[in-house]
Amino acid sequence: MTGKKITVSKTFLALLLSLMTLSMFVPIVNLFAKSLSHPNQVHLLRGYEVLPRGFSLINFEVVLHNPIIVRAVMNSLFITVTGTLLSLLFTTMSAYVLTRKKLVGKTPLMVFLIVIMIFEPGIVPEYMVIKSLGLLDNLWAMVLYRTINVFYLIIMMRFIEEIPDSLLEAAKIDGAGHVKLFTRIVLPLSRIPLLTIGMFYAVARWNEFFKSSIFLSSRDHTVLQVLLRQFIVERDTTAMIDAAELLKNSGIAQLDFGSLKAATIVIAMIPILMLYPIILKYYTKGVMDGGVKE
Amino acid sequence: MKAVRTTAPAQIRGSSRWKQVWSDKVLYVMLVPAIAYFAIFHVWPIYGMKLAFYDYRILGDHEYVGLKYFRELFSTPIFSNIIKNTLIISAMKLIIIFPIPILFALMLNEFRNGVFRKMVQVVAYLPHFLSWVVIAGIWFEFLSPSTGAVNEGLKAIGLPPHDFLTDKESIRWVLVASEAWRSAGWDSIIFFAAIMGINPSLYEAAYVDGANRWHIMTRIILPHLYIPMVTIFTLNVGFIMNAGLDQILNFTNDSVNSSIDVIDTYVYRIGLINSQYSFATAANLFKSVIGVILVLSTHFISKKLTSKGAW
Repeated sequence: MTGKKITVSKTFLALLLSLMTLSMFVPIVNLFAKSLSHPNQVHLLRGYEVLPRGFSLINFEVVLHNPIIVRAVMNSLFITVTGTLLSLLFTTMSAYVLTRKKLVGKTPLMVFLIVIMIFEPGIVPEYMVIKSLGLLDNLWAMVLYRTINVFYLIIMMRFIEEIPDSLLEAAKIDGAGHVKLFTRIVLPLSRIPLLTIGMFYAVARWNEFFKSSIFLSSRDHTVLQVLLRQFIVERDTTAMIDAAELLKNSGIAQLDFGSLKAATIVIAMIPILMLYPIILKYYTKGVMDGGVKE
Repeated sequence: MKAVRTTAPAQIRGSSRWKQVWSDKVLYVMLVPAIAYFAIFHVWPIYGMKLAFYDYRILGDHEYVGLKYFRELFSTPIFSNIIKNTLIISAMKLIIIFPIPILFALMLNEFRNGVFRKMVQVVAYLPHFLSWVVIAGIWFEFLSPSTGAVNEGLKAIGLPPHDFLTDKESIRWVLVASEAWRSAGWDSIIFFAAIMGINPSLYEAAYVDGANRWHIMTRIILPHLYIPMVTIFTLNVGFIMNAGLDQILNFTNDSVNSSIDVIDTYVYRIGLINSQYSFATAANLFKSVIGVILVLSTHFISKKLTSKGAW
């Protein structure tokens, strides 16, 4: 009797969970379907459908022939790659220094970092600083802005603290200085946290939209998220019209703006979907193993 | 050891300190990029907040005006509406969203070892990594009055379609729902990890004593979730002044702006769009000070309740 009761409640739970999952899954897949549908049939595609109507890559072709979109993708990639590498280097380097036990001034430095973490000066003073540095409308503003995340720095410190002292001592006796200890021992041993934190830095930089929209003003320096906002929120299609002209001679009477938009969103999601398996593998495992002790 | 130190003259102690600094000089050099970064991108803007007490001029010296901008701020009727919106949206998110990851983790726990659990997790964590622009794009389609899945559902049960995005009443619920959609799965990780960390022998012992599943949940699992629950709840209270800038900027439109305009969007609008730098900085300073007070006090409350702080 109790056995049957459990299966009934379990079935109910499974249904509930499936429903929640579908509510996340269907809208995303529907967008993919929309971007892959043929322009003449896309109006038949309902919001809950997951398969494209009349498969066609024409939307992606149009989007990727648009120099403005390509430019924005390249800018986003530049900021993401350069920014993530810089972030990782500075974060690990300072984490190594801040975990040295005899370091004079460590406590005030840590207090300073906590203060910085919780006190937000806000957008106007930040804008003024970028302006004073002459970095307005310069991609480097977005590379340098928020290079070190204090929270990730602390996570990195906790990891480096786990490296056995004996290992570092042995290298020291062999004559290694701090630079060698850092590059030859700490960095190679930190591959997993580097990958995890790197993912988070990369995702944050790829997704950054508000600060990019403020610091980068010209069309040449726009990034994908800002351009997307123009399409989606402001419904400004001017950037798309040129592309539609380009396709006049391809035999398709009219392009569907909705599916062009969907194709652009899909392009913005591709790097995330590529990084996602690595995030799942390392981060969730890390939380499962490490979070328990907290 | 202690005796040696106390008998050592102060001079020698001082010089050994400098000796330590000198022998660690490479370390300080390695810290230079970080120090430079924090000085330029964090300390300098904090110094720049003095603009709240000065009249901003492009050329020449700024004139000190004391609390003028704060007085103006508090006498503006818009500002009280902004504060109200911020608190309402934050409170809605806090109260409605908080239990969802916990329930989600509890439900997942019933399917511990299956492929089903892994599939659910893979899908549920994904939205956390999408930008608000992309999420807005997905939700605009999802809620579209003509083709969106939600309105298809409404039509199917015989209700008229509704444009949730342009309705002042429903837009706040859209903010709450999309926030839950984005973060509930991801936030459940910490609770799920806590459940997985419970020693299985506790369950066995309870079963031997005649406990049923309900007893297991209320007497064993929930007590184990107490610490993460308190920590995360207090942390969220600490950030109540942040109602979600990126999200609101992407979900807003002229017809709903008055019901979802929060401090952050207000500062952005009057500061960077209308160039009223001093006024915007004053609004932001007010927000930051309240924010710090909230974060610090919730940190200490959390510490009291769980003997662990938020950091």
